Order: sequence, then structure tokens, then C-alpha cells
Amino acid sequence: MTEVKLDRIGKSYGAVVAVQQFDLTIREGEFLVLLGPSGCGKSTTLRMIAGLESITRGDLLIGGQRMNDVDPKDRGVAMVFQNYALYPHKSVFDNMAMALKLQKVDAAEIRERVGRTAEMLGLTDYLDRKPAALSGGQRQRVAIGRAIVRTPSVFLFDEPLSNLDAKLRVKMRMELQELHARLGATSVYVTHDQVEAMTLADRIVIMNGGVVAQVGTPREVYDRPANEFVAGFVGSPAMNFLDLTRDDTGRWISDCGSLSLTALPVDVGARRQVRLGVRPEHIDVLEGGVPAAGDLSYQANVLLDELLGADALLSLGIGEVRLLARVGGLAHPVRGDTVAIQLNAAQLHLFDVETGAAIRS
Amino acid sequence: MTSITSPLDRRRHLTGIAFITPTMLVIIAILVYPILQSIMLSFGQSSIDGSEPYQFVGLKHYAALAQSERFWNSLWVTLLFTGLSIPLELAMGIGLAVLMNEHFKFKGIARLAVLFPWALPTALNTLMWRWMYNTDYGLFNAAALQSGLVDRPINWLGDETLAMGSMVVVAVWKTSSFMALIILAGLQSIPRDLYEAGRMDGMTRWQEFRVITLPLLKGPILVALIVRSMDALRTFELPFNLTDGGPVTATESLSLYAYKVIFDFIEFNYGAAIVVVQFLVIFAMSLLYILTLRNKD
Amino acid sequence: MKTRPRFGLYALVILSVVISFLPIIWLILTSLKTTEGIYAWPPQYLPQPFTLKNYINIFTNSPELLLYVVNSFIVALGCTVLALSFGGMAGYALSRLGMRRAGVLMVLILAVSMFPPVSLLPSLFQNFLSLGLLNTYAGLIIAHTGLFLPFTVWMLASYFATLPAEIEEAARMDGMGVFRIFWSIVIPLSWPGFVATGLIVFIFSWNEFPLALVLMTQNAMRTAPVGISLYPGEYAFPWETISTATVLAIVPILVITAIFQKQIVGGLTAGAGK
Repeated sequence: MTEVKLDRIGKSYGAVVAVQQFDLTIREGEFLVLLGPSGCGKSTTLRMIAGLESITRGDLLIGGQRMNDVDPKDRGVAMVFQNYALYPHKSVFDNMAMALKLQKVDAAEIRERVGRTAEMLGLTDYLDRKPAALSGGQRQRVAIGRAIVRTPSVFLFDEPLSNLDAKLRVKMRMELQELHARLGATSVYVTHDQVEAMTLADRIVIMNGGVVAQVGTPREVYDRPANEFVAGFVGSPAMNFLDLTRDDTGRWISDCGSLSLTALPVDVGARRQVRLGVRPEHIDVLEGGVPAAGDLSYQANVLLDELLGADALLSLGIGEVRLLARVGGLAHPVRGDTVAIQLNAAQLHLFDVETGAAIRS
Repeated sequence: MTSITSPLDRRRHLTGIAFITPTMLVIIAILVYPILQSIMLSFGQSSIDGSEPYQFVGLKHYAALAQSERFWNSLWVTLLFTGLSIPLELAMGIGLAVLMNEHFKFKGIARLAVLFPWALPTALNTLMWRWMYNTDYGLFNAAALQSGLVDRPINWLGDETLAMGSMVVVAVWKTSSFMALIILAGLQSIPRDLYEAGRMDGMTRWQEFRVITLPLLKGPILVALIVRSMDALRTFELPFNLTDGGPVTATESLSLYAYKVIFDFIEFNYGAAIVVVQFLVIFAMSLLYILTLRNKD
Repeated sequence: MKTRPRFGLYALVILSVVISFLPIIWLILTSLKTTEGIYAWPPQYLPQPFTLKNYINIFTNSPELLLYVVNSFIVALGCTVLALSFGGMAGYALSRLGMRRAGVLMVLILAVSMFPPVSLLPSLFQNFLSLGLLNTYAGLIIAHTGLFLPFTVWMLASYFATLPAEIEEAARMDGMGVFRIFWSIVIPLSWPGFVATGLIVFIFSWNEFPLALVLMTQNAMRTAPVGISLYPGEYAFPWETISTATVLAIVPILVITAIFQKQIVGGLTAGAGK
């Protein structure tokens, strides 16, 4: 059970900054997810913790000890790779036992520990096989088993589920949750899939272009995104964005003029432009087809409808404005219909047009 | 990704250096140092056993070289040989490669047949051909005389005009296969869809070849050309074993001439000068080629 | 696929095969003829009578010709082992260890490989003379290794580059040092590359002429290509002996090429892709 502290840590390749310096303390037993699009620096950060990348600036402390110059094997960390990285010419047993063998652990103990881990992961029958004879999911379990056997203080995961098909991914996700509940070790998990992040994480660190955009629990990140990037990245389908400009009368009007508001739910100071954000699930279709009085209620045309199963997605047009709404799947409006919608006032987000930062009162 | 900012990186870097060291030592000892020595030798006068000290004589040998008819002859011979054999090898190589790309039975034997000439030592190849070229008992003359094509034995290797041609034949025989292999690799990397698209458009086989195959082969052809022309300029064992540079000096390549100067006439310094000139020519060409290749990437 | 008349294709193929094999076949035929048969007129195409006398002669009267083959074998083997070891390590370091200026070094190594062997001769001869390395196996082995290391480094580096980097990273995480990773992971996984490169280097060394000519002056130490081509000495070529010796010298190469043709071709064409 170990705390991992990233103290003003940063990575540069020559003049190119891959990860801008930031602070982060990962608590004992926490499952922390690094989330972001490709190239955002999440893998680089993970590899710095692992020891596969050197740390250009700042310090890494694991369990209170500075690990910047320590070899990966001595850091007490174990890593699960995206492509499993199993030794193809060695059996499952040998793959899982390798680290222990290198530490000169006694053979009987190796057998015991590997056996236990294999049982935990349902791999006991496969110990003699080579990776090529296993399915993707099994290989992934071997990769995880290899990490578990080492009883590390910190588990590192580098997009481990990306290579699995959708169904398997869901299943493995749940297994990972169970494992974490069982082992309780500090874990750092990298992914670009926000569903994985939301379901697995105690806290999420969202990164973009080498910069940390927000750190928070899934709830925090979803309900109170710190900036436009986070708001648009987390949540599927993505949040709707609309630019509004204040006219001389104080009304806020969309660029095309089709949609307007008399007042914003949050005080935006002297700004004359804002970006409005509303999630698809926060757009309601009103019964009766007539917009309610007051702000945030409009008449819209249904341009497209997609039935997802339990829900349906509607592509709505209000003049030139396009909004995506999520509604119940039973008896939902279809293409060509005209509906009245209401935007949920309590769930509106406002962002500064220049910085992208969330505007809060 | 080559930043050395921490002791972690440095340790790996040092291990890397340890890994490279044996190779670099051998390469320096066998390839680099001797060239530098040759350059030194070429600027001086010394005796083989070191009984007299080295004397610097500047460009004396190079001047002598410039005046030497035999030197210019050997340069000419080398260039002529290269100029004749390379195009032929290329043409045959492309032809063979196209052939081998088709599907047919006994492909294994065909591939073997193409590989053998390359795999055999040139020296022994040359002996085989020398025997076939033999004026009195060789296969070629025997067949030619018997069938009445000619009424006197042809002096393949002893006739000044024929000798170079005979030599070129041997070279082409040996290296067409190598060219073919390289070009075949290129051929096989051309995606089938291109040909299928061409067929849908109604191309004839010749058009397919011209429009699809040739342009995409430029890379491998260039590689093959570079490798082969380097080799051709350095040719040694072919003339050495086939004609010993004869008749007179009609087939005496630069390498052969240098060898004779050094080991027959025992003139190390003069020989070193020849060798340096040859080296410079080849080095210049190889740099040119490497640069061209890098630009193409 | 359209069916096209295959006659032209087969004819060309047969023609190429015949031309390729012609000198070798003629040589074998010659070695099986009697002396009179070789120099007969009208010329004998097929041996009549068929005789193994020449082969027997070699074994009984001139066994040094066999010694040449043995020498070639020792040198080629030694060179291959050294080249693969040194070249493997260097190739790995330059392609995988993220060293600074690795690219520059690779290009330099390539450039250096273009030196004409003849230009190395005077200095190599003098150096080996003073170091006592002339007429030694060690001497020629090292010389050949130097000649073929650039090729080896490039070939093996390109094979290593195809290995997924993640496996090596996992090994690092498990605690393997660089050499151990090289030995227990990289080498087993790039085995085909080693085999192909090794075969080609073996053939290169066997066939090498200028250095072998100059660095082995004693008859007993000569390699096959040199020994056989210098054999005649003062008189006219005894073709019966020469042809037989050549056949014997060629047999190992033919056998190796025949057995390993796939690997060899694979290696050559992969190398061409550089």
C-alpha cells in the first residue's frame, strides 16, 4: 500500500515538451486513471513512473522515496502492457515467474505464488501453454498475472483493454474492478476510452497536449468539468456546444440568430461572448409539442433519429442550430417531427470563449 | 527519443557503447586504419621491411600515375567493363525477376538455378568459364567448329577485342541472378490491387508493365544498380583468373593493376597511390549514391 | 486469372535454368572424363568412357586440394561466428538502445563497407606481416570479419527493428539487464534473421578472394578459391585435376545453397529492402 507522489514532474525531449510540469498525489490503494486522446502525454507520464522514460524535471516519490534514478525493477512497480508483451517463446508459467526468477526467489515459493495467481485469474489449466495458443483475453490475464505475482506496491496499466473486442472489454473491465477490490493496491491506469475511465477510476486525471486539464472523481469531472476540453471529452455522446453573443439589449443570441436567451444562469461578468454547453441527456422533449414559457424552451425539427435500444438519439434543428438530444427509446419522436424541447437550466455549462475555462459563479 | 538526462539513461547508453566496441574495433582495424595507411604510403617512399625510414615525397607518385598510360588504360578498362555489364545485368535481371514472379511448377529448381551463379566463388566460376572458353578444347569452340559455324577456333580470351566481351559475359552470368533477386523482392511488394485495377481499366500486359511495374521498381532497381556498380568498379578476381589482365592489358582492371604493382613489382608506395585513387573514386560514388538514396526517402 | 499460353514462359524458364547450370554441368562432365576424353577431337560431350579416376587421383596424389576446402571451411565458420556475435551486439545497440547518433554511425558503417578490398591490401599485408598474422587462421578470420561486419550489422539491425519494443520493456520491468534481454529474448526471437545472415556471411567468406590471396601465402594455408586457381603453377592447366578439384570445392556451397535456399533468398531480399 503505497502513496505515489508526482512533484512538479515534467518530460521534455530536447526542446519539445511532452508533459508539462504538474503535481499529483496518488493515495494508497487509489485507482487513478490517466485519460486523454493520443499524444496527450498520459503514456509518457505512466512510463516515467515505471522507469521506462527518464524524468526531465521534478521528482517521483514512491512510498516516500525518490525514484528518479532507480531502475524499474527496484521501484516496486509492475506494468501491464497494451499488447500484453508476453515472451512468445516461453510458457505461461515462465512468463509469470520471470521476475521472481530474476530476483532469485526460491523455486518452491515461485511455484506457490504463480499457482495462486493463476488460480485467481483462472489460468491454472494453461500454465504449460505458450502465448500463441491462448486467446486475447487469456493473454491479457497472463499479462495481469505477471504483474500480480510480483506483489508490487503500485500497478501500472497501459491501455490494457484496447486490443480486445467490445464484449470482452466490458467483461475484463469488471474483472479488473473485482481484482482491485480484492488486492487493494495503488493503481495507475492509462486509457483513451472515457467509459473505462468513468467505470474504473477513483479519480481521473484528464490530459490534453501534455497538459493536465482536470483532476477529479468521475462525478466531479462529469458534472463540473473545469474546461471545455474536459466537458467535450467526457460523456458519450459528447456535450453540445453553442456560441452566444450578447447584443445591445442584453439578450444572448447564437451566431446564426436562431436561438436566444434573455439571461444566463451564471454571472459572466463583463463578457460579451460565451460558449454554452449542454449534455444530450439534459435536453427534454416536452409533451404537447408546445414550448414552455420563458428561456430555454424551443421548437425544434427532428432531422435524424437513431434508436440505441433503451434510449434514442435525436438530431434536432432549431433554425441553423444543431443539437443532439438523448431521449427514452419508447415512442420517441422520429425524423420529420416537430417537437418542443426544454434545456435543463440546472445542468447548463458556460465556458470562456478564449481560454475554454468553465465560468462558475 | 535520444535524451540523456538521467543516470538511468546514461547506464543504458554505456552498455550500448560496450556492445558496439568490439565491432568498431574490428572495423577500424581492418577497414579504416589500412585506408589511412595507404594514403600515408602513397605520399612517401619506404621499403617493405622498414630498413629505410619513411620519406615524404608529396604528390610524386600521383604525378607519375597521371603520366602512366597503363594506369589510364586500367581506368578505362574498369569503366568500360562497368558500363557494359551493368545494363546487361539489369536487363537480364529484370527479365528473370518478371519470369520468376509468375506461378509455375518446379519453381524451387528455377530459384536454385538462379541462386547458384551468385553463390559460387567468382574465382571458381571464372575457372569454369575459362575452360569453356579454351581455344583448343573448350566447349564453345568445340561446338562452333563441329557445327561448322566457324572454320577456325575463336580465341575468346586471347583476342583483344573479344576478351572484354568474354569477361562481360561471365560477369553478367554471375550477377544477373543477384539483380533478379533484388528486383523480385521489389516486384513482390507491389500490391496486387494495382494490377487488378489496371485490368479493370483494360490495360494490356505491356502497359501494366510500363505504367505500374516499372515506376514502383525504381527503388529496388536503384539499390541493385548501386551495389552492382560498386562491385564492378572493384572487380579483381574475374580478370585475375580469366585472363590475368590480358591479352597485354586489354582486361586489366584498376584493382588488378594495383595488385600487380604492389605484389609483382613490389612497389608499395606507387601501388598505394593507385589504390587511393581507386578508393577516392568509389568513395565519391558511394557518397553520391547514399545521398541520392536519402533524398529519395 | 486469364490463362495465357504457357509455352513461352516455360521455354524461357528452361532456357534460364540451362544457362545457369551449364558451366557447372560441363565442369562435372569434364571431371568424369579421362584425360584423353578431355582433349579429344572430335570433342566428347558426354564422358566416354565414364571414369572416377580423377577423383581418386585427388585423394591419393594431391590431397592438398582437399586441404584448401578444409581451410575455407575453418575460415568461413570462424568469420561467421565472429561476425554474428559482434554484429549482433552492435546491431542491437544501434537499433534498440536509443543511442545518440546511432543513425550517423550506421551510415558511416555502410560507407566504410564500400571500400575496395584491394585498397586495404598493402597496409593489411604489412600490418599482418609485422603482427605475425600472415598465414594464420586467426588472421584471415579477423580480416574477413572486418569485411563483412557492416553487412551483418545492417542486416541484423533491420531484423531487430521488427521485434515489438514492448517485449523488451516488459523484460526491463521484470528486471533483466541489457545483455540478458539480448541473450534470452532478442536472439531467440530473431533466430531466422541470424540464420539467414549467417548463411550469407558464410558464403561471402568462402568466396572471398583478394584478402585470402594476399594474407595466406603458404600453399598449405590457402582457401579453396585461391588454392585452386593458383594450383597449376608453372605448366599448362591440368584440367582434369582442376575441374575435379573445383567440383569438390563447389559441392559444399551447392549443398548449403540447396538446403537453405529459402532462408538465403529471404535474407538477401530483406537486405535489399534497406
